[in-house]
This record gives sequence, C-alpha cells and structure tokens, in this order.
Amino acid sequence: PHPSTGGGGIAPLTEQEEEEQPLQAVLVADSFNRRFFPISKDQPRALLPLGNVAMIDYTLEFLTSTGVQETFVFCCWMSNKIKDHLLKSKWCRPTSPNVVHIITSDLYRSLGDVLRDVDAKNLVRNDFILVYGDVVSNIDVSQALQEHRHRRKVDKNISVMTMVFKESSPGHKSRCEEDDVIVAMDSKSKRVLHYQKTQGLKKLQFPMNIFQHGSDEFEIRHDLLDCHISICSPQVAELFTDNFDYQTRNDFVRGILVNEEILGNQIHLYVTQDGYGARVSNLQMYDSVSSDMVRRWVYPLTPEANFTDQQGQGCTHSRHNVYRGAEVSLGHGSQMEENVLIGRDTSIGANCHISNSVIGNNCTIGDNVVLDRAHMWNNVHISSNVEIHQSVVCDGAVVKEAVHLNKQCVLAYNVVIGPNLSLPDGTVVSMHHPEEEEEDDDDEFLSDDQEVGHSKDKTRQKAFNPAEVGPEGKGYIWKASMNDTEDEELAQCLWGLVLNPDPESDSESEASEESQDRSRSVSPEIDDVNAFQLEVLGTLQRGLEENIVCDNLVLEINSLKYAYNITLKEVMQILTRVVLEYPFQQQGTQLTTLQYTGSLLPLLKTWSPVFKNYIKRAQDHLDCLSAVEELFLEQDTHQTAMVKVLMKMYQLEILEEEAILKWFSTGATNDKSRQLRKNQGKQRMSLQRKESEEDESSEEGE
Amino acid sequence: MELQAVLMAAGGGSRMMDLTYNTRKPLLPVGNKPLIWYPLNLLERVGFEEVIVITTKEVQKMISTDPKMKLDVKMKLDIVCIQEDADMGTADALRHIQQKIKTDILVVSCDLITDAALHEVVDLFRAHNATLSMLMSKAHEFTETVPGQKGKKKTGEQRDFVGVDGTGKRLLFMANEADLDKGLVIRKSIMRKLPRMHIKTGLVDAHLYCLKKSVVDFLADNKSVSSIRGELVPYLVRKQFSKSMTSPNVNDEADQKLKKKDGNANLEIQILSRDEVLLQLTRERSCWNDHRGDMSEAYHGVRLRCYVHIMDEGMCYRVNTLAAYIEANRLAPKLFDEPAVHPSAAISVRCLIGADSIIGASCQISDKASIKRSMIGASTTVREKVKVTNSIIMHGVTIEEGCNIQGSVICSNTVIGRGADIKYCLVGSAQRIEPEGAFWKTPSRLSCAFY
Repeated sequence: PHPSTGGGGIAPLTEQEEEEQPLQAVLVADSFNRRFFPISKDQPRALLPLGNVAMIDYTLEFLTSTGVQETFVFCCWMSNKIKDHLLKSKWCRPTSPNVVHIITSDLYRSLGDVLRDVDAKNLVRNDFILVYGDVVSNIDVSQALQEHRHRRKVDKNISVMTMVFKESSPGHKSRCEEDDVIVAMDSKSKRVLHYQKTQGLKKLQFPMNIFQHGSDEFEIRHDLLDCHISICSPQVAELFTDNFDYQTRNDFVRGILVNEEILGNQIHLYVTQDGYGARVSNLQMYDSVSSDMVRRWVYPLTPEANFTDQQGQGCTHSRHNVYRGAEVSLGHGSQMEENVLIGRDTSIGANCHISNSVIGNNCTIGDNVVLDRAHMWNNVHISSNVEIHQSVVCDGAVVKEAVHLNKQCVLAYNVVIGPNLSLPDGTVVSMHHPEEEEEDDDDEFLSDDQEVGHSKDKTRQKAFNPAEVGPEGKGYIWKASMNDTEDEELAQCLWGLVLNPDPESDSESEASEESQDRSRSVSPEIDDVNAFQLEVLGTLQRGLEENIVCDNLVLEINSLKYAYNITLKEVMQILTRVVLEYPFQQQGTQLTTLQYTGSLLPLLKTWSPVFKNYIKRAQDHLDCLSAVEELFLEQDTHQTAMVKVLMKMYQLEILEEEAILKWFSTGATNDKSRQLRKNQGKQRMSLQRKESEEDESSEEGE
Repeated sequence: MELQAVLMAAGGGSRMMDLTYNTRKPLLPVGNKPLIWYPLNLLERVGFEEVIVITTKEVQKMISTDPKMKLDVKMKLDIVCIQEDADMGTADALRHIQQKIKTDILVVSCDLITDAALHEVVDLFRAHNATLSMLMSKAHEFTETVPGQKGKKKTGEQRDFVGVDGTGKRLLFMANEADLDKGLVIRKSIMRKLPRMHIKTGLVDAHLYCLKKSVVDFLADNKSVSSIRGELVPYLVRKQFSKSMTSPNVNDEADQKLKKKDGNANLEIQILSRDEVLLQLTRERSCWNDHRGDMSEAYHGVRLRCYVHIMDEGMCYRVNTLAAYIEANRLAPKLFDEPAVHPSAAISVRCLIGADSIIGASCQISDKASIKRSMIGASTTVREKVKVTNSIIMHGVTIEEGCNIQGSVICSNTVIGRGADIKYCLVGSAQRIEPEGAFWKTPSRLSCAFY
C-alpha cells in the first residue's frame, strides 16, 4: 500500500486580516537541561522522533497552522543537526507560509539568553509566540492572541504575557508531577495572581496581597496543564534584558508577579478546554504524548497525515489505531493489537504480539517478540524471543535473543544488548561512558544539548561489562542515581517522577494539622530549634568520627546558629543537652548509670573547648546548669550521674565553682528539682572540700 | 416532618445598640412589623407548621402582651426562653433545646429579611445528604446615609473568604481575612481532589443553616463550641477533609484508639453521619458522580459535606447594623402586599403621603403634612406642616407642628417639639426634643446627649 497525503498540514491563514504585520514566533530548540541525557548526547531533543516525526516539526506545524508567518528558531546544542534537518524540511521550501530563520549560537545557556538576544537583534516588532522545540499541540491560539491584543489595547502595555493552559484534571496522564502548577487568578480579568510549581509541596500558600486588587472573586486552579506556549509582548524581551538574572520563563513569571507593583506589568492566562498541548519535558511525558498522538488526540496532527510532507513517510490507518508504513512485512501469526505505528521498510517476524507501540523505519523484529508501550526508533534490530515493556530503544540499537526489557528502560544510540539477559526497571544503557559525562560537569555549561568538547578524550575506552549488557553487549549502564549530591536537577532521572497520589503523606499532613488545631501552643520556632539540635548532633558525631578540631566544630555550630536564627542562650542549652544525651543516642536508653558516665566523661573532655567557647559570662554558667538540670529531671534514673557530670565540668573548667554553688542555693522551681538538689548535696560538700584541697578532689572525681 | 425549624431570636443586637437600647432586636419595627415576623413569615411561606423560637423572657412577654407586637402568623410557636445574662451563643442555644430536636434542623436568625427561595438550600441538603447547607448572598451596598455616621462606608473592613468548588455549591473553605495573616493556605490533597476552587469575597452569610441532627448531638457532647457561625461552621467545613472523615470504614479498633487519644474523638465520630446502607449501595451501583477527572468514588468518600447556596439576585439582608436597618425599612414593604396605609389610621385629606411610605395603625396625620419614603409606626401623631423624608418613625411618637425630619430614625414614644429641624439623626426612645431645636448630623444617640 502506498497511501500518501501530501501537504495535509498546511492550514489556511486566518485571523490575520486585521493585523498588517506578520505574526512572529520564537522557537527555542534547546531545553537547556539534561533531562534526556544520555539520549540527547547524540541527538538534540528537538530532533528526537515522536511518532516517527521529529518533535520540532510538530512545533513548527503548530505555529504555522495557528497563523505564524515568521519563526525564529534558536539552536545551541548540536545546532548543525537542527539546521540540516530544517533546511531539508518543508519549512524551508520557498512555498512555506511560515518563514523560518535559524539563529545559532553556542553562547545561549538559558531561555533568558535567547530572549536577550532577541532584544539585542531587535527581531520582534509585535506580539510573538514563545515556544520550545518540544511542544506538541493543536491549540488554535488565535483566540488567545485576540484576547491578548485586546487587553493591550485597553490598558496600555500592562499585560506582557498570556500563558496558554489546557484544562486537565490532576491525575491525567499527560500531567507530570514535575510540571504541575497551581495558579491563582482573578476570575473576571483572567489575570494570573500567583503561579507556583507544586512539586514536593504539601500545603499551598497564597500571600494575602494577591487578593487585594479590588476584585472579589478569585479562582485557584490545579486543573491546568501548562502547555509552555506563551503569547508575549515585545517588552518581554526587553524585560529579560533589564533583568539579567531571569533565566527561565518561570523566573520571569515569578519576577513579574512579585514585582507587579513596581513594574506594573501583568500576566494573564488563557485556558483551552478542547485543544491538545503538552511539552515533552521528560521521558514520561514522551511516553504519554506519543501514545496520545497514536490515539489521535492531536488531530489533525496524526501519523498518517504526513504533515511534514516527506517522501515515503505516509502510512495507512486502520482499525484500533494501527498504522502501517510502506513496505511493512508482518510474519505469520503476528498481531498488532491496538495503537501501533510501524514505519516504512520494517519487517516483523512470526508470532509477535505488539500493542501500544511505535516502531520506526528500517527496523527488523524477530519471531515471538512481545512489545508493549515500546518506543523503537529507526534501524533497530530486535532478535527473537524478546520482550519489551514501556521502554525506549534509540536508533541503531540491537537487542539480541531472549532479552527482557522491563519498564522504563532506555537503550541509547547503537547499544547492543544480550543475548539472554533481563534488564531491571529503569536501566539506562548508552555507548557513552557515564564518567565522560561527569567530566562535562566541570564545564560551565549546564545544557543538555551541550557540546561534549573533548571528543578526543574518548580514546580512553573502557571495557563493556558482560554481566550488565550481556556477552555480546556493547554499552555502559547509567546508574539511575549515580550522583545524589549533584545539584543538577535530576539529571539522571530520565523518566521523571511518576505521578502517584500518595495517600500516606496526605494523611500525615492531615494528622499534623489536626493536632495543630487542638494545640496551637506549638509555635513554629520549635521546629527550628529541633532542626538545629539535630544539626548540632550531626556535627558533633562527625567531629568524633573524623576527628575534627574543636575550633572547626565551633565554627560550624556558629554558622548553624545563624542559619536557624538561634540565640546564644539556646545554643548553649542545646549543646549541653546534645552532649549529655549523646551516650543515649549512641548506645540506647537502657544504659546503666555507670555505663552512662563512663562514656560521657571522655566526651566532655574532648568537647570541653567547644563548651568553653560558649560559656563565658556568669549567666551562661547558670543557663548551662539549668540545661543540665532539665535533662537530669527527665532522665530521673540517672540522677546520680549528675554529680559526676558537674564535677567533671568543674574540673575541665567549663563551669565555675561560684556558678555551681549559686545554682545550688537558688530556689528550686518545683518539687522535683528540689529533690534533685538534695541529691546533689553530697556533691556540694565535695566541692566545698575541694575548695581547700584541690589536688585530692580531682582523684575523687575520677 | 423532614426538618424542624429553629428561630434564634435571643441576640441583643450589639452592633446597633443605639436602636436596641430600649427595644429588643427581634421587636424592632421594620415596615411596621417586628423584625422577627420576617423569618417567621419566610418559614410559613414554605410550609412549616411549627417553629421553635429561642428568645428571652422579655421578648416573649412583649410578643404575648403588646398588641403592637402581635405576630401575624398561623404557625405554632414553641417559644423557649433562655436567660438573657447567660451569654449563650447560638450553638449553646441549640444545645439547650437538644431534647426537642427529633430530626434535621433548619436554623434561622431573627434578623434575616430575604426573599430567597429556601428550597434551594434544602435541596442541596437533600441532594448531597449534606451535613450542613447554608445560604449566602452577594453583599449589597447600602445607599442611604446613615445617621451619625461620618463618611459613607467604613473601609478597611475584614473580608470573609469563602471557597467553593467548580460548581459553586460545595463549601470548601471559610476564613476571615484577619485570621489569614500567614496567607491563604490550602492543602495540596484538597486541590488534587477538587482542582478548581473559587474564592469569593463580598458575600454576606444569611445565618440560615440546615444541619443534620447528628450535629446537634455533637454539640450536646462538645460543650466548648458556643457559636454556630463562629465555631461550628468553620469546624464542619474544615472537617470535610480530615482523615477520620474520609476513611471508608472506621473500624472499631481505631475508634478505641482515638477515644483514648483524646476525648473529642468519639464526638467527632458522632458527627459523621453514616450514610445509610441503602444509600451507600445506591451510590456504589450508580454511575453518578459529583466530580469528573479522576476515577475515585463520589465525593472521594468524604462523608461530611458542606454546601452553600449563593444568591445571585434577590433580597437578602441581615438587620444587624443601623445601615442595614434603614435599608431594610426601605425595601421590606416590597416583600408583602398590604396596604401602605393602615385602615385604622386617621389621615387628613390635605396631607401628602408618598406611595413609598407606610403608615401604621391608629396614626394621626394632620393637614399639610408631607411624608415621603418613610415609615410611620403605630399610634404616632404627626401634626400640621410636618415634613418627614427618608425617615423611620417608630411607635407612639408625637411630632409637633412644622417639624422637618430628614434621613433620621426616631425611636418610640418620643415627642418632638414644634418646629424642630432634625437631619440625619438618631433619636432614642421616650425623648423630648425642644421646640425649634436644630440637629444636623449630630453624632447618634440623641437620647443621651439631649435628655
């Protein structure tokens, strides 16, 4: 079969009559992050195939069909590949209604840089559409554009941006936790008052000043999917220039909202109910968008439409959303169950079972293969008896006999796996060695689409591990959490976080809220103090393990003091408490008094410089003593140990004698402490005795 | 009997002491009827045959003895008196009458004047098997000048924030601006269940509530709650999303634990109106759902539900301030169709009475008097050449010749000397205004200043 539907995607231009100037768009063909590593080491994200078509083509088709006549494509990482791709595509033909200008530079490091360049080069003259090269959408933004222009006409240049959102309930599969936002808006003017990513938050907080704009109706919406399509006024580029710290659109939005009163700029939103729009920001989204594409949610951008108008890309569409390209051969007994797209010249062996999968061009698949939610790109070879679930297999990869790919595996370019191997969930295999990547980290760039640079260094090839990739395998395993300390946002987490409403955590927060309801007395500072206490404990522990000099410990505690805003008095009390509890902390609470003092006294000696640093004035001594008292009131089984502790502290010159005597003589606050003091009577005697004969007392104390 | 009506008429009217100094709030004349008549009439119109009226001894005495206060209702009034000085809140009052409560209840405040379709509130209550449903209305701007008040409106008032879901019916959130100094905080789990929340300000709470009987039982056990609006309603709204209310089957073991943990727990469980078995079954078998977007069961398994009906148009006033009182007097006559001039009033042929004025029983209006947009109470005497505009004259007032009264409130049994000129004043009851006196926008309460 040779179906070909050429030029199906070119939509007639509408809504443009009134505006003389052509509608412009800025397309950023770089993500400036590394979410698609290591796949994007070989191919920029914008060119990754989705439904056998490069993602940037969807974006350009969306722009063209919405009436854009001039598009500036900004490329950074692998700009040559993108340029080549575009020059070959229909967008660069003379008949294209959308003139594409390709602007490349290695210096872009963020969206901010791109827009600053837009401003510097003075490219936009009017409102423009800002999208990324990985946005898949069929939304007609002309309505939003009209609203935007109207707003700008009514009150001069106050609205700088209209963000396009799609309505979709939480839990919808095209929403990923990472991109989840909460928006507070004015119901009438559709003005955005608050915009926040909700990832990792349990409570959503809205400052009161956003409700004080004279309106009496607001909406808080969590049912919006950010399509990453924004209609921008020309000022947006200027604002990026003025605020050189704006890197992302998120920075910009937050900045505009926070400084609304100063700059007087506003952001509005447009919500579409029936369009489709999503940004492929990680592999989970890739999976969702790809399956939506095959299920025809992005109509008219369907696989058989061949909107890129390329020779041989056509395919047929039959029942259950099964698409077959040209020259596809299917072996005896093989089934394409539903939602399957197969590219041209692909051959499939016998008794295969394929469902919810996309297979690229020129692939060969052996017999008895099971594919479910598999995304196979071009020139992939799959041998017989292979099973693949929800995984991505990139160009040129070879999967040998009897390999089992579990969920969320990624085989990057030209990897060979197998035979007879089962890869666990979330395995990522690449021909690039992970350490190569770490070297790149030293690079100042943080772009996923970033030149690897030292390609010559790759001579230092390491051997492939047959246990990991199979006897004939080629490739290196990328550990899912290779480097936790790396603050590069989830660089290794290709699939993104799976959205699973966590009922447990919910109830926890509820419980805590309820308890707060009952006893409001718990002030929030307590948390700081607790956190500080934990930190001090950690510091001291580390100090012991690594033998850190006390001066450095003091330094660390001081910095913690400022971080948690703790008073000096509290520092001392907490320090005392932490030290005295240390034996319990380490060896459990069942210690006998003897064991307790045995392990505590050497500690006191080690840390005495720390104490001395904090206990200087007379009041400090008393505070320290009261902390000691408090602790031993709690640990009433160990009260006898207090004598020894005080004695030791005296000997180490942490506490002065007068202070101890003064503490003893001051009135006890309650019965218990009175009891405690009575017990200490003995000690007082010894102290007094010591006054006269100091040498003896030291032996006594030991 | 599906609902028992409870009328709360024991409030002192602390926000308009000038008016309630001598006349108790339920008995304040509005359109020549005591204020309490309006909620009673509202209940009667929708077919209630019996109502429990909670009030004070004094009010009860007045109602039963004073002919002017006679309530023109056919319903059976079950009047329960509470002590005036006991400082009982509305929830305390409910607790007081717990023995009488046999079914779910409809609580109305005595200062409500509305033409709301009550069935809207009750329907929400029925349809969703709600624990609470209430009535709110868009706040009205008061247009009249208020005696003794400088400036038109007090600004900087604390607003109430009311959060409702996408349909505008389910009540999700309620707080006063004053309590939100840390900003408005909403749990993400709530937003996930009900992703679209409308936050409205500028609503008045009509203080009309449908409550489940279990709530009254809960009050009986939980003595710390004293006010419905101040404590009970916010508590119920908050409880909608707490854990113990959502878990499908609170097993007894957990109950026990909770009880041990604190005494309130078992009370909380009481409030949980357990859906009846049949109802539960219906919900399971039916494809109906109250929300869309996710696959979870209707109401996400929440069994305590609060609803609100927000009136878009129509009249809804709570007569609890002087401004509201004046506004209500202006609008109340539209609520009932009775002759504006009482048949027993003696009206001179040569006086001028505007169509928007009401004249009470046994009034005497003399020649050349002119009365516009005003209410004249029963047994009031208006002498010659008196001009009354935009004013409220209560019972038994005597206005001597040639007085000019504008935009004022004159309380009962006051005598206004001849030729007095009173503009935008509030004159207390049983006062005597000197002849030829001129009072323009004097601070209110002439009763004290000019005795």
